[in-house]
Amino acid sequence: MKRIIHLKVNGLDHEIAVEPRRTLAEALRIDLGLTGTRIGCSIGDCGACTVLIDGVPSFSCLTLAVEAEGHEILTIEGVADGNKLHPVQEAFVEVGAIQCGFCTPGMVLSTLALLDYNPDPTEDEIRRALSGNLCRCTGYQKIIDAVKDAARRMKELS
Amino acid sequence: MRLPKFDYLSPTSLTEALEIMGGYKNRRLKLLGGGTDLLVDLRDKVILDVHNPHNQEHRCHIKPVQSAFNEPPEYLLSLSRIADLRGIRSEGNKIIIGAMTTITDLERSDIVKKKLSGLHDGAWQLGSPLVRNRGTYGGNLCNARPAADTAIPTMALGGKLVLISKRGERTVEHDDFVLGPGNTIIMPDEILKEIIFDLPDVQYGSAYIKLANRKALEISVVGAAASVIIKDGIVISARITLGAVAPKPLLVPEAGQLLLDRELTDDNIEKAAKTASKKAKPITDHRGGATYRTSMVEVLTKRALMICRARALNAERMEASS
Repeated sequence: MKRIIHLKVNGLDHEIAVEPRRTLAEALRIDLGLTGTRIGCSIGDCGACTVLIDGVPSFSCLTLAVEAEGHEILTIEGVADGNKLHPVQEAFVEVGAIQCGFCTPGMVLSTLALLDYNPDPTEDEIRRALSGNLCRCTGYQKIIDAVKDAARRMKELS
Repeated sequence: MRLPKFDYLSPTSLTEALEIMGGYKNRRLKLLGGGTDLLVDLRDKVILDVHNPHNQEHRCHIKPVQSAFNEPPEYLLSLSRIADLRGIRSEGNKIIIGAMTTITDLERSDIVKKKLSGLHDGAWQLGSPLVRNRGTYGGNLCNARPAADTAIPTMALGGKLVLISKRGERTVEHDDFVLGPGNTIIMPDEILKEIIFDLPDVQYGSAYIKLANRKALEISVVGAAASVIIKDGIVISARITLGAVAPKPLLVPEAGQLLLDRELTDDNIEKAAKTASKKAKPITDHRGGATYRTSMVEVLTKRALMICRARALNAERMEASS
């Protein structure tokens, strides 16, 4: 049976009716139309569905929508400030860390959480923080470079 | 592929959860922790028939394969809204860790890192950040996989599990907890509440080493954990446990026995490691051959014991300087 839940996504409150089996990824994409969150493997291997739940990178495909009620969810749609890209997004674009783009939302969100926890990460720490987000295009080097660049940009801003 | 239908229960207190568990004893009910295993197992798997060598056409037929459950559960009881189940606390010479504590909580905890180093090693190496952020300690133990990265060190450290139901509470050793792959002594109306470690008041050290092909998202080829208590330079307790070499986490008392009442010398470590490797009963699969795994048990046990020794001595030095 469907139940009414309240989700706070990118600062906005939404009321939706979902079955308990609805995953957060499905609720975001189908019920809220936020298709920036990708569904890749659905079994917690690829990280394409990464969203931040209370600031913590989480698989939205392995989180039930009903479980997310009462928590703050940030998806890739909420990262930029209007048309102004977030420094992490700018770095990804300028360094060339995006090819097909399927993994990018997850990569950007995992990077945000990393830089929030550790503003000055080493290369090892970056690789470790992104180890749950798979990319089949870039070979990762440009993504690592982008994270370093993003850390620099964010430091300049603060 | 959508999840099968189920009803969802989300109690906000342990009492409420136990009440529900008692009432639903005969129904198919599963406890939902972080969901990083359960929701994967619930989903029907789909494989492309192109991987089937008998398929000559090499077309991508989609062939559904049954999920891990013969019958999907009717109810999922979520533990995530029970605040009491999450957290790490020190009480006298005990460390008590709630079952819903996430693997990331373990990894970032100073108490765990300093006092339960082996468990910290396990949490550090488990899955990927995304798995660690949602996945829980209790979930990893109750899933009872033979290679579970927190189970092997928990067993070496002599962790005790508190199981609670409406009927009461019981405390069991991790040694007796796992029966086989995915199977534990936990009763249908019981919940794993917390895990308790007793800390010795003399020198001690623990370590867990995982041998794997990748650094992340990996199930170990072999894992070895050790925990050693040393008094006046003499070993008074030694426990060695192995992962991925038997249907369940394997305690090797014979290897620990060899170290007792002596100094922890390289020679003794070598002997214990050889014994551990003799007791391992691994299988051959795509992760590694049985012979390879058996040889690696010796290497990993040796290294784990050496790290234990270094940590025990280092802890003493740190105490002395403070």
